[in-house]
Amino acid sequence: MTSGEIVQPVPVALREPAHQVSPRAVTYWRVGAGITAAVVTVPLVVVALVWSDRPWWFLVPAALVVLLLLGWTAIMPSFRYRVHRWEVTDDAVHTRSGWLSIDERIAPLSRVQTVDSSQGPLQRAFGLRSLTVTTASAAGPITIECLDVGTAQHLVADLTAITGASQDDAT
Amino acid sequence: MSDPYGYGAGGPAPDAPPPPPWAPAPPPPPYSPHPPAEEWQRLDRRLLVISPLQVLRGFAVPIVFSLIGIGTQAGAWTLLLIPVSLVAAAVFGAIPWLTTSYRRTATQLELRTGWLNRKRLTAPLDRVRSVDLTASLIHRVLGVTKVEIGTGVDDERITLEAVGVADARRLQRELLDRARPGTPGVGPDVVPGQPLEGSPAAAADGGPAEEQLAVMSWSWLRFAPLNVTQMVVVLAACAGGFQFVDDLPFADIDHAQSAYEWVVGQVIVLVVAVALALAAVLWLVIALVGYVLQWSGFRLVRLRPANRPEETSLQLRAGLLTTRSTTVEERRVRGVELTEQALMRLARGGELATLATGVDEGTATVLPPCPADVAVAVGHDVLEAGSTTPLRMPLVAHGGAARRRAHVRWQRMPVVLTLVALGLTLGFDGPWWPPVLVAVLLGAFGVVGAEQSYRHLGHELTHRPDGTPWHLVVGSGGYNRVRTVLETDGVIGWVVRQSFFQRRLGLATLVATTAAGSESVDVRDVPLPEALRLADAATPGLLTPFRTH
Repeated sequence: MTSGEIVQPVPVALREPAHQVSPRAVTYWRVGAGITAAVVTVPLVVVALVWSDRPWWFLVPAALVVLLLLGWTAIMPSFRYRVHRWEVTDDAVHTRSGWLSIDERIAPLSRVQTVDSSQGPLQRAFGLRSLTVTTASAAGPITIECLDVGTAQHLVADLTAITGASQDDAT
Repeated sequence: MSDPYGYGAGGPAPDAPPPPPWAPAPPPPPYSPHPPAEEWQRLDRRLLVISPLQVLRGFAVPIVFSLIGIGTQAGAWTLLLIPVSLVAAAVFGAIPWLTTSYRRTATQLELRTGWLNRKRLTAPLDRVRSVDLTASLIHRVLGVTKVEIGTGVDDERITLEAVGVADARRLQRELLDRARPGTPGVGPDVVPGQPLEGSPAAAADGGPAEEQLAVMSWSWLRFAPLNVTQMVVVLAACAGGFQFVDDLPFADIDHAQSAYEWVVGQVIVLVVAVALALAAVLWLVIALVGYVLQWSGFRLVRLRPANRPEETSLQLRAGLLTTRSTTVEERRVRGVELTEQALMRLARGGELATLATGVDEGTATVLPPCPADVAVAVGHDVLEAGSTTPLRMPLVAHGGAARRRAHVRWQRMPVVLTLVALGLTLGFDGPWWPPVLVAVLLGAFGVVGAEQSYRHLGHELTHRPDGTPWHLVVGSGGYNRVRTVLETDGVIGWVVRQSFFQRRLGLATLVATTAAGSESVDVRDVPLPEALRLADAATPGLLTPFRTH
């Protein structure tokens, strides 16, 4: 049922969204990843010390897990900072997120239903705030993680003003 | 009678028969744009029979067991428990009727429910998107029906457990008529008391005209046993039953003599053969009975209100014992999905579902398993696709990299299972052939699956006669073939998703987000430039501010 290979794709390319998230996000991600790594590593170390007749091979997967987590903590935040970008125009919002897998999301503001912002305890410590724009599709929420608090507040006000102006029920 | 449902071809009917005796006596006042707020009204009194029966049914097993348990220990006085539980059921069953009331005002439908925890649900009339009537056997005997009203976003539905059939029909029609914004005040004067089915009745004044899209043919029964999804459910149930084999004495081979063991071996082969044959017969019966119960009397029609002919809705009616009627406004229908399951495809059968917004299940099956040609024709009819044939048109293939990824994906499970089999053989010193057999069989299964999956994979965009984009057409599936067609107007946004491996191959998964159906349509493993070109062409202008040039 196919008509053959793609012969000549018409070139359409997306440029990067204009803005980066707050530079403090790098430290925030690193601390978060460090906490996760610690939560896994500490019990492993305790087990390795306390459990005297452990099988000889126990240290191999344990060390592997710890090394992977440490590596993740070391490199993920800066990768992520380079990937995460966002842009809001009068008509649409465009974000890019992820680090190994990368998602680019675009939604027209005319279809936006709610604009939420959220701040976890760790984010509060770093003065960061995330912003989520939802549409009528459960598959389509767009989150801009780790904005500077001031930027986030401005953006929420702007988006609310723009989306409040549209009339229909956006489905 | 050619028109057993009483809608006729529109227009006033010259000789409307008198309403049947069980219809409510006073006809409602004529429709006006702003009728006075109606009084709170209770559900139909017949609910006082239905809910106790439902309570009894829910507690039937514990009640019977406790009666048996007590009865074996104590004397005949336990028989008193029977009237006691009947009275309790009646009392508990009365609660829904006593505590639920509803009313329709000029702008909204309100439902009050609950006793200690009072709840109030409100549906603005212009948000009503579907009004479904369902009648179980008990409901039908008593002449009432359950009304479910779907509003706005998919979560909450207002359910009226029992409404007289005639009232329910009137409510259904009025709600759907008023659900349209800017309705002029020339609604239908509804003749009350139209019977649900069977007996002829004249068309209501200004009532919608019916246009038949599909009606069940008994030859479609041949597709019933081919429904693999249902088969898996039954197989799982059978597998549960087979656990009893462990408890049978002849299955306990360890303690048997070797001669006895041989005999038992033969018996087990025989038992398995008979069990398989029985299972096949059982499956055939279950599938046929299920199909008849679910789809008997199936009819899919398009209702076209005489005064607003462009605001059509689709109505499905089916069911042998429990009759259900489901109505969806066509402007809520954003697309269709044709599924041709593996076995069904061999018999040229298929199933059709609509992708709609604001209904319980966004993907609603509108046709029983039927010939694929019928499903395609109905699908195109629902889409009003004109001269385009999105359900059958050739698609743009995704190229060699996508094909390689399909093969890698389909070989994951065989590799894992082969390693497991290998591990078992090495660990327990078993024979050499099971891992080889697993590798060959599952490997071949994976190769064929990947090729099928690549053949079905693809995308295309259709255009209206004026050149604007119309439908996004996506092919997917492995052994099953799935064709999804979504109106580009129904696309809310786009996600371009690239996993680490997809980025190395220059592929992406393009996700069209939508409020209809399962909320997203995935175009898997499409070359990135083609994904962007498709998104740009399907929603002109949306990507423009973010393009490089």
